[in-house]
Amino acid sequence: MINSNSELILEISDLHAQVEGQKILNGVDLQIRSGEIHALMGRNGSGKSTLSKVLAGHPAYKVTNGKVLYRGEDLLGFEPEERARLGLFLGFQYPVEIPGVSNIEFLRVSTNSRRKQLGEEELDIFSFEDFVDSRLKLVQMNPSFLERSVNEGFSGGEKKRNEILQMALLEPILSILDETDSGLDIDALRIVAGGVNQLTNQDNATLLITHYQRLLDEIKPDFVHVMSSGRILRTGGSELARELEDSGYEWIENELPKTGES
Amino acid sequence: MDRERITKDGRKLKMSLQETKLWESLSEPRGPLASIQLSARESLKSRGMPAASEETWRLTDFQLLESILHLPLSSSASESNCSSVFDMPSPPTEGFRLMLSPGSEPLGLESLPKGFNLLNSEELKEVLGKALEHCGSNEDWSVGLNNSCVDNVLALRVEGIDLPSLELVISGKDGEFSATRVILLVEKNTHLNFLQVLLGAFNSAHSHLIEIHLAENASLNHEWLAFGGGKSSFLSHIAVEQQPKSDYSFTSIQKGWLFSRFEPCLVQVNGQASTKFRGLQIADSNEQIATNSTIRFDGPEGDLDQLHKGIAAGTSHSIFNGCIEVPQPAQRTSAAQLSRNLLLSNRSRVDTKPELKIVADDVRCTHGATVTELQEEQLFYMRSRGIEQIAAANLLLRGYCQEIISSLPMSFDRWKVLEHVLEGLRG
Amino acid sequence: MKSQNLVGEIVSKPYKYGFVTDIETEKISKGLTEEVVRQISAKKKEPQFLLDFRLKAYKHWLTMTEPNWAELGYKKLNYQDIIYYAAPRDNEKKASLDEVDPKLLETFDKLGIPLTEQKRLSNVAVDAVFDSVSIATTYKEKLAEHGVVFCSITEAVAEYPELIEQYLGSVVPLNDNFFATLNSAVFSDGSFVFIPKGIDCPMELSSYFRINSGDIGQFERTLIIAEESSSVSYLEGCTAPMFDTNTLHAAVVEIVVLDDASVKYSTVQNWYSGDENGVGGIYNFVTKRGHCRGVRSKISWSQVETGSAITWKYPSCILQGEDSVGEFYSVALTNHLQKADTGTKMIHVGPRTKSTIVSKGISAGKSLNSYRGLVQIGPKAIGSKNYSQCDSMLIGDNAAANTFPYIRSQNPSSCIEHEASTCRISEDKLFYLQSRGIGFEEAVSMIVSGFCRDVFNQLPMEFAAEADKLLALKLEGSVG
Ligand SMILES: Nc1ncnc2c1ncn2[C@@H]1O[C@H](COP(=O)(O)OP(=O)(O)OP(=O)(O)O)[C@@H](O)[C@H]1O
Ligand SMILES: [Mg+2]
Repeated sequence: MINSNSELILEISDLHAQVEGQKILNGVDLQIRSGEIHALMGRNGSGKSTLSKVLAGHPAYKVTNGKVLYRGEDLLGFEPEERARLGLFLGFQYPVEIPGVSNIEFLRVSTNSRRKQLGEEELDIFSFEDFVDSRLKLVQMNPSFLERSVNEGFSGGEKKRNEILQMALLEPILSILDETDSGLDIDALRIVAGGVNQLTNQDNATLLITHYQRLLDEIKPDFVHVMSSGRILRTGGSELARELEDSGYEWIENELPKTGES
Repeated sequence: MDRERITKDGRKLKMSLQETKLWESLSEPRGPLASIQLSARESLKSRGMPAASEETWRLTDFQLLESILHLPLSSSASESNCSSVFDMPSPPTEGFRLMLSPGSEPLGLESLPKGFNLLNSEELKEVLGKALEHCGSNEDWSVGLNNSCVDNVLALRVEGIDLPSLELVISGKDGEFSATRVILLVEKNTHLNFLQVLLGAFNSAHSHLIEIHLAENASLNHEWLAFGGGKSSFLSHIAVEQQPKSDYSFTSIQKGWLFSRFEPCLVQVNGQASTKFRGLQIADSNEQIATNSTIRFDGPEGDLDQLHKGIAAGTSHSIFNGCIEVPQPAQRTSAAQLSRNLLLSNRSRVDTKPELKIVADDVRCTHGATVTELQEEQLFYMRSRGIEQIAAANLLLRGYCQEIISSLPMSFDRWKVLEHVLEGLRG
Repeated sequence: MKSQNLVGEIVSKPYKYGFVTDIETEKISKGLTEEVVRQISAKKKEPQFLLDFRLKAYKHWLTMTEPNWAELGYKKLNYQDIIYYAAPRDNEKKASLDEVDPKLLETFDKLGIPLTEQKRLSNVAVDAVFDSVSIATTYKEKLAEHGVVFCSITEAVAEYPELIEQYLGSVVPLNDNFFATLNSAVFSDGSFVFIPKGIDCPMELSSYFRINSGDIGQFERTLIIAEESSSVSYLEGCTAPMFDTNTLHAAVVEIVVLDDASVKYSTVQNWYSGDENGVGGIYNFVTKRGHCRGVRSKISWSQVETGSAITWKYPSCILQGEDSVGEFYSVALTNHLQKADTGTKMIHVGPRTKSTIVSKGISAGKSLNSYRGLVQIGPKAIGSKNYSQCDSMLIGDNAAANTFPYIRSQNPSSCIEHEASTCRISEDKLFYLQSRGIGFEEAVSMIVSGFCRDVFNQLPMEFAAEADKLLALKLEGSVG
């Protein structure tokens, strides 16, 4: 919900970034306050995942210009694990498989690192199992996934649920969900969306990266941004997403350059 | 005739086999293997030391190899000193343990459980060297060395159902070179769990040779733990012969050897069998750890799934040569081999050579090899969940080993394999 | 299975380049002695340094033993039974093509490489080598306008001795291996390419090698130098008549690439491969190596190997300059009793060097096709990467395919990935194509060329189509 007095969680200004010597982000500006849900849309290859990786601190992506404030602090100065502990969560578009590392162990180490940061007590194996159990329900995931290796052999949809499970465990302040809806069947989409809705409140914020109205029907965004060639081209309310669904991206891109647009 | 061998620092080694302490300490051939000893010594003498010009020895650190041969042969007379660097767990509850030391009858033989029988000398004659011959291993230098030294063989026939599992522990002796030989016949419709543990002690060296026959419908889960310590070394050859419809699953771990050379050879004599190899070798400090595996299909419809992992840390050298041969009769073979390697330090080195030799057209064979550091994407994924870099790296390292160790149902817990493997390793 | 048999019935077309040109040839007497080496050098009016180079190589060669490759088992050659120099009688290089013996021009016409002004390829400059000598180089003047030198190595020795002295043997040292050393002693002709700083060579350069005499060895030598920020694409083609004896071809190719320069070297090798009983054919023992000396330099080898009785060839890259790149794209097709042992060496020396290997082997008949490659990442090659993909396709159950990848890494920040697979032409694919009305033969050749697509895509346009046709031709009759 929009409340211009609420805390400014994320403030991106004129962010430029490159990977493998190739410029991908060309001046992104974006502000997210607590309690808000933002949707980020745009053509394939426009730089959405790149933005999310840069925010999460992927070492392959180099920031060449601009700055990012996270709750008033310089986000780019933090290591990836520090960002996570500070409450930044990235749900990956393509979660990696990590053979041999058990999912439950991974989840426990990661949850405890966040809890430590929050000054909460770390959970031992048994109390962690209870904690996970309660969260599993949220995403209606079968406990057998806990015993398997991280994401290994998970179907596309199962990987996405595992991401949301992690979000539920880590209780982030800012969640960036990169195409969490892709690969989900209709029921799963509702479950995942329900999970996200339950996890959002006035003190946190969400950035949804998606291509489809479907998800936005379930999780109502306060703002919709359209990205093109590494820049946010246009920002609007939830009606913008519906217009895109009907008419595609071309009309926005053709409209430009437009000045003074916010 | 001895060919020239050159050490890492360019020194030429000229020592001949006959000048080694080991050779000098060989006693007159005796026992059931006397004639084999005699002929092996003759041929080894004329062959001399292996040389870098031989394909399978080309990466060998000959200085390390020679230092093994500077230990005298341990004999049955010498003090049995099984205390290695290792705390031995209690034997498996559903099985029994044999302790094997060179020259003497293995401990615990008095009372073999039902289904386990020693071969008599007639039977022994019939099977001795058979698997070696079928695997084409007879000319191998390590086999020749073992044949020259060993004067006794533990030959077991296993038959029946619901058998207890067998644990065979072989310990090296400090300051000595020991040689042991085993033959294992797994008869029709028999399933056996078999764990072999090879323990090194300070400055021990070991030569081990085992021949395994799997009859039709037999199945063997073979676990092999080779944990060295100090400056211990081993040379080990396994020759496995599989009849159709048999099932062989082999998982090996090698760690802590200054020098080790492991040669698993397997032949599916009429194809139609299933083979699974899992290997993990860890080289640290200045060690050289090598695996040379050869797998051949002499009949159709065989199946192989092989995954070998190596880790090189410190200034060590980890070597893998894996050869798969699919000759013409082996139509419809399906074989997959993967060699994965991790380099953990910039003074360590990995050599890997996965080989395919194929003459049959209707086959599905793949192999792959990777040499990398820990995967950046995986590290990042974990860090993005708040796990510190070092912890994430160690978790990954553990996962990397776990993939192999998880196929050690017999020994995993009791022998604390994961702990031993990870001890001293940093991602 | 029926379809597989059917494929077996399609029979090989005869080798269409198997004719002999009847031309008076000047040959020196058989055998190799110091005198022969001196004679070759004298015939070519070489400066002292080159004679010294040859003699040094010859003396070293005498101390070497012929490699004994288990997988290649071939009839040992008698090096005293080979003629080391043969040239058309009237071999003074002509100022104008009109003066070249019409029989020679006709020969190259028949090979599809017309040299005369009216007919020659419009965008390719050709250096035509007949037995031991280069008989013509087209478009020399046009290239000279850009400062590009493209001529026979013999001319280069006369005109640019300082370049030759500086670079010859600098990538493949004269004691490198048995056949390269032999070549260094007796090489007769070959091509020389020099691309000056900042120039993108305006046209494709091409050498065409033709062995005509049955008893000579062809020892050509090619040297390519690409100065800073230059680039060139170079093609090499070869054929020989059918003789029932084995002819030796032991070439050396050296490439030097400086900062930001790139060289693309493509080969379509179609030497006579012997008949279906393995009689005759060329022994093709070749040393090709490029040295990426400069930062961001690049060498790309592409080859389509279909001919020769035996091929022994590993075009390699020494990646020394930071961020330099090496590539190797290969299709090797063997049929009947041919043996091919080919692959590459990628030696990563400098930081952030990258290499890619794509090798497609197709073995039919009773042939043997081996991939042998080395990827080595040295301790200083921080952040380097290699990716290799080696696929084999077996056609018929008497054909053999081997893969011998040697992989060594001494650098933990680098990454090597090797993948290999072996398969046969999938019946599913055949069936799918046939069910869409495509004839059997055509379906097979579609699948095979699909299998090779990644490599063909790397070939210059004119060659890609040629290679595709060549493959289809070679394969006829072998599938089954
Ligand atoms: N590691 C990388 N190496 C090279 N190029 C990259 C890398 N990561 C991203 N790119 C390139 O950057 C551009 C933007 O990619 P990005 O993944 O951010 O797009 P996206 O907007 O998320 O697209 P999609 O909707 O398909 O997920 C693409 O052209 C992509 O190929
Ligand atoms: Mg994306």
